[in-house]
Amino acid sequence: MAKTSEFALELKGIDLYYGYVRALNEINLQVRPGECVALLGDNGAGKSTLLKVISGAHKPTNGTISVHGKHVEFHNPKDSANAGIEMVYQDLALVDAQDTATNLLLGREILRKGLLGMLGFLDRKAMKEEAKREVAHLGVKIDTLTRPVEMLSGGQRQGVALARSAVRVGKQAEGILLLDEPTAALGYEQKVMVEQMIKRMIANNIAVVLVTHDLPLAFSTAHRMVVLNRSKKVADVETTKTNNDEIVGWITGARPSMEGL
Amino acid sequence: MRKFDSLSFLIFARSWGIVILFAALWAAFSIWGMPIFGTFTNFSVILQGASIGTIFAAAIAMGVFSGVLDLSVPGVAALASVVLAKCLLSGVNMWLAFALSIAVSVVFGLINAFFTLKGLNPLAVTIGSLSVTSGIAALVTTGPPLFGFTPMDFIGSNLYFGLPAMFYVVAVVFIVGTIFLTQTRGGTRFLAAGGNAEALRRSGVNANVYKVLGFVISAGLAGVAGIVTTAYTNEGNPAAATGSLFTGLTAVALSGISLAGGRGSLPKVLVGSLVIAEITSILNIKNIQPFWGIVITGALLIGALYLELTIQQQVSRRVVQSKSAANNAADAAAKSAQPSKEA
Repeated sequence: MAKTSEFALELKGIDLYYGYVRALNEINLQVRPGECVALLGDNGAGKSTLLKVISGAHKPTNGTISVHGKHVEFHNPKDSANAGIEMVYQDLALVDAQDTATNLLLGREILRKGLLGMLGFLDRKAMKEEAKREVAHLGVKIDTLTRPVEMLSGGQRQGVALARSAVRVGKQAEGILLLDEPTAALGYEQKVMVEQMIKRMIANNIAVVLVTHDLPLAFSTAHRMVVLNRSKKVADVETTKTNNDEIVGWITGARPSMEGL
Repeated sequence: MRKFDSLSFLIFARSWGIVILFAALWAAFSIWGMPIFGTFTNFSVILQGASIGTIFAAAIAMGVFSGVLDLSVPGVAALASVVLAKCLLSGVNMWLAFALSIAVSVVFGLINAFFTLKGLNPLAVTIGSLSVTSGIAALVTTGPPLFGFTPMDFIGSNLYFGLPAMFYVVAVVFIVGTIFLTQTRGGTRFLAAGGNAEALRRSGVNANVYKVLGFVISAGLAGVAGIVTTAYTNEGNPAAATGSLFTGLTAVALSGISLAGGRGSLPKVLVGSLVIAEITSILNIKNIQPFWGIVITGALLIGALYLELTIQQQVSRRVVQSKSAANNAADAAAKSAQPSKEA
């Protein structure tokens, strides 16, 4: 694949109006392969809206999106998925009554060989093994793969949803992963698990956009911090060149916007 | 540890309650209904009485599993019944007549699916087609039942190895259905569409295909029920299926699922249907007014759903509890670890 850009994902001058309300105001954003950008901001700052623009759920009023240097236009989430962008939503969209292996392999189930396979018979054993392999590769701890996911803890459910997206994005050449509050409502140990998963994906050269309120998570995983305040980008800095107080200042608006964004 | 034990007991009760209920009633009725109830002949009679209702239960169950309560089932069955009778009376080959009845049923399944996917409430759509199909069935017969066609006892009142022919039809429906649901990709996605269609969509699968399939299977099985009813009664009756909705729905509820979709097991629906049939049988044997059977069916429907709801709430509460207990412990550990890290 000929590379035309150093950026996996590039947004230029994204505007979005809801009627007269300007939800996004000339947002620029670049994410490199293997880079994690934390998208921070207070409630209503526009971070979820921006994520929806990237995932194809909203169409921007102005501005352009490029994926690996190629100009793209998303009319629906499927377009975005076809471009190699995978989103993990806050509502995890798992099939509660089914087990982890089934949830993980939904849409790419493994069939038996021969005639039974042609009739659509599942190879449950192979599915369980594949799920086990994928889950282990991502470092998710799940007690039993054959238990319905409704019986799993919140962190494990998050793990299943993340793993599902991660596997799909991992199958693409240099995919892009969008995470919406992956640690909301998780316990300490589970947060650590999610953090490790994000790090593994970065190591696999996946570009990650992380929307979160969890600053420690952002500091431990993100290479760059982008702060939105009232639909505008007010900061875009390398994680090593800033600190918690500065970021909080930008989020609350106590600190003036950076120049030249 | 004790908590976990009572949790697994609740899950056990939800999974196996219906089988235990069936066995307990069987034991009790065998004593109460001595010497008739416990005999093989009576077992065969129970199966005969249960067969048609059980196929209706399968039709409703498949709809419920895919997330839709299909109320048009009795009407579609009545239409299939009169279409079959009409065909046979005008000399159409029997197997072709079967195929035509099923085809007419499936068309109404597709109509239900079409309007539901357009965004109409499925309850309203299926009530509408219940009315339409019942009306057409009455129009076709112009009133009284159609009879005088070739008997179809081989799927009607015959016995094979002492068991009613209809029950073999039930067995085929349930075995094929269970294999489909538990062993195939289509079945897994079918259940997923009922449980969380969004999950399916996000996995790149067209969830609507499986929604349509739910309506089609439900209507197709209603057609089968109509055919078997016609074979058993030897008449094409537009009013053949009254009451089937209630017993069918009760059998589904007794199988231990909420009617929300996404889960369910056909073998348990079968047992649920047999529970209703054994109650009907003991009422007969004891010469109790059969209307009690209708009362009990309704009470069982509400009771089973209420029990399922209670268990579901208990289970989710315990899962949350054990989860937050673990989280709290982890958070406490993290807090106590932090000062030493900073120091």
